[in-house]
Amino acid sequence: MTRVFVFTNHKGGVGKSTSATNTALGIAGMLRRAGAPNARVLLIDTDSQAHATLVTTGTKEYGTDDSLYTVLMADRQNAAQTLLNCIVQSTWDADLHVLPASPMLEGAERELMGIAGAPYRLADPLSRILNRYAAIVIDTCPSFSLMTEMGLIAATDAIVPVEPRYLETVGLMSVIGKINDIREGWRQPNLRVSGILVTKMNTRIRGHNHLLDELKAHSVLGKLLLGVVPANEAVSYAHQNHQSIFNYDPKASASKAYAQFVGKLVQRIAKGGV
Amino acid sequence: MPPKNQTHRIDDLLGSVTEELLLGNPQQFEDNSIRVERLLLEMVRPDPVQPRRVLPEQLHFAFHNNRLTPTQALKELVQLVQVAARQRGRPFNNVLELLPNPDDESDEDQSVHLSPEEQLLHDLVNLAVTIRDDGQVNPLTVVDVSQGVTQQFRIETGERRYWATWLLRDFIAGYEGDGMIPCIIIPTERSSVFRQAKENTARSGLSAIAMARQAALLVLTVHGYEIPSHAVTNDFYRQALELDLRSKREYTEAVLSAMGGIKRGQFSYIKGLLRLSDEAMELADRHAIEEGRLRYVTNVAPEYHTEIVRQIIDFNLSSKQVKELCAGDGLDAADRDDKVEHLPASAVKLAKITQASNTTSAQDLAQAMLRQEGDASLARARLQAMRKLLTEAERYLTGD
Ligand SMILES: Nc1ncnc2c1ncn2[C@@H]1O[C@H](COP(=O)(O)OP(=O)(O)OP(=O)(O)O)[C@@H](O)[C@H]1O
Ligand SMILES: [Mg+2]
Repeated sequence: MTRVFVFTNHKGGVGKSTSATNTALGIAGMLRRAGAPNARVLLIDTDSQAHATLVTTGTKEYGTDDSLYTVLMADRQNAAQTLLNCIVQSTWDADLHVLPASPMLEGAERELMGIAGAPYRLADPLSRILNRYAAIVIDTCPSFSLMTEMGLIAATDAIVPVEPRYLETVGLMSVIGKINDIREGWRQPNLRVSGILVTKMNTRIRGHNHLLDELKAHSVLGKLLLGVVPANEAVSYAHQNHQSIFNYDPKASASKAYAQFVGKLVQRIAKGGV
Repeated sequence: MPPKNQTHRIDDLLGSVTEELLLGNPQQFEDNSIRVERLLLEMVRPDPVQPRRVLPEQLHFAFHNNRLTPTQALKELVQLVQVAARQRGRPFNNVLELLPNPDDESDEDQSVHLSPEEQLLHDLVNLAVTIRDDGQVNPLTVVDVSQGVTQQFRIETGERRYWATWLLRDFIAGYEGDGMIPCIIIPTERSSVFRQAKENTARSGLSAIAMARQAALLVLTVHGYEIPSHAVTNDFYRQALELDLRSKREYTEAVLSAMGGIKRGQFSYIKGLLRLSDEAMELADRHAIEEGRLRYVTNVAPEYHTEIVRQIIDFNLSSKQVKELCAGDGLDAADRDDKVEHLPASAVKLAKITQASNTTSAQDLAQAMLRQEGDASLARARLQAMRKLLTEAERYLTGD
């Protein structure tokens, strides 16, 4: 079964889009390096701000008939085909495909609110094209909106990017609790919290180190820690240039950290297990 | 702006991580085996050059030139059959009415008179209902021909199941599937005209004309022709008429075995059917006329082909009757057999000349001989030698 990684945290600016885009590219690149017959990765942008779409495709001019919005509005019979039609190739890599977001997604939440089956409008068509991809990566907006819910329902693995300054276990537990609610409430036994990714880590700040140590020591959260990405200017520059961190500066500390993180995900993809 | 898509730059970084992580387990991804997957119907496309055609020619081209969606193509087929059925006094509205009624005993002999299109739709509806009731369908075999973001799989075998599933999805009530179809995905490098040919000839119901197209594809392939991925006219296949296997001895066996293990002589007869006119070919294909009855038709001028094939269909002419109908027009194909290829060309030429004896006067022949040899006695000698040869040849024929 193709893994669907969703990057989610209701806190804004913690590095969801940065992580989702670079991870998607990293998985494709690494699978190709490993000689996988299928190295295609699909990045789905569910955030109406369309940051992930912009950096990976060079534009966010997507709307009524060529974005995730189109898929959500399609009738059930045609939704999967519509999804296929809306996918574009990333300017980053031929194996990275993108289902773009659109500002219309904000309206979609209202349009779909209360419609039976609305939360499945991404999961359902996605399940029908899933096996064409080696992995799927979903970026979400910083709130538990209907869109985020759709992303979670479509996913198998939730990954929580978090900045050290928000690392208090209480806050993290509430994100995890929320994901668990989705799992129970929508009967998505396949969905689980499979990792925490610490972003913007600055080892010179004592508080950061302290919180990270606490996380590592935590009985549950400690096991979930999948990576620590240092605060690194290269990340913002790459973002501004609409480039991946790997291409912008492969030697940057953040590049190495993301490569390690992606390696762990690829291992899971390859093993098909935990 | 700095250049994008510098895949190589990140490769080193990702590569080092890859090796570290996957150390000792390099085989993990080298899985080129044949897989079964459920694919969205829309991702699957019939092969436009598949020798075994399912749709009638007109629909075949309209569909493959993207003038019709699968649903529209089926709609046209249904309408076509509706018109034909009404003319025969068996009108229907819903395709399910085409299913045989178990209480109606007359059904059985009615089916004898079904037109090929009616038969096709009957078969598809039957198959569709089986798929609906059993909840599954045997996997098709497909080849991954995806490019970029376009995911596409070309059907190698199972086109009828493909159409039946569309029919089920869009024309038959009670479909509860998800619009997907199970497929065995053949890696692109394993797919070949030979594979397809073997699959085709191993199954029953391959018409002689489909066999001819199949033969052409094989011959063209071994001669290095590119097989296109769009619908082609008969002239494409006819290029194979000028090519033969003799110049490609190393492939002869593989070709004949892909054609179902036929003999070389049979192969040339089958390939020879490509000489039929377009219309005759389409008719013969739809009505699945056997090679044994069609081979004689290629001996007459192309403008008569359709008429003769129609007569074969309408009067169900036997192979012998067709032979008689087509006789007297050049070299009789029936007398070419397996051995022909090994006969000296001079013998074949002489045999052919004997056919001219009815239309030639003795005086003309004498003059022609004189002109050719330039000397009356030399001409007489030639004729005497010929007379001797003819006498002896006749003796072989009487069995002495
Ligand atoms: N490791 C890092 N080092 C330095 N800057 C970073 C790092 N990760 C992310 N950033 C920067 O932080 C900002 C927010 O990152 P990003 O857009 O990925 O977060 P987000 O969680 O997707 O935000 P939003 O909630 O608004 O969608 C961006 O300007 C990004 O360049
Ligand atoms: Mg974001």
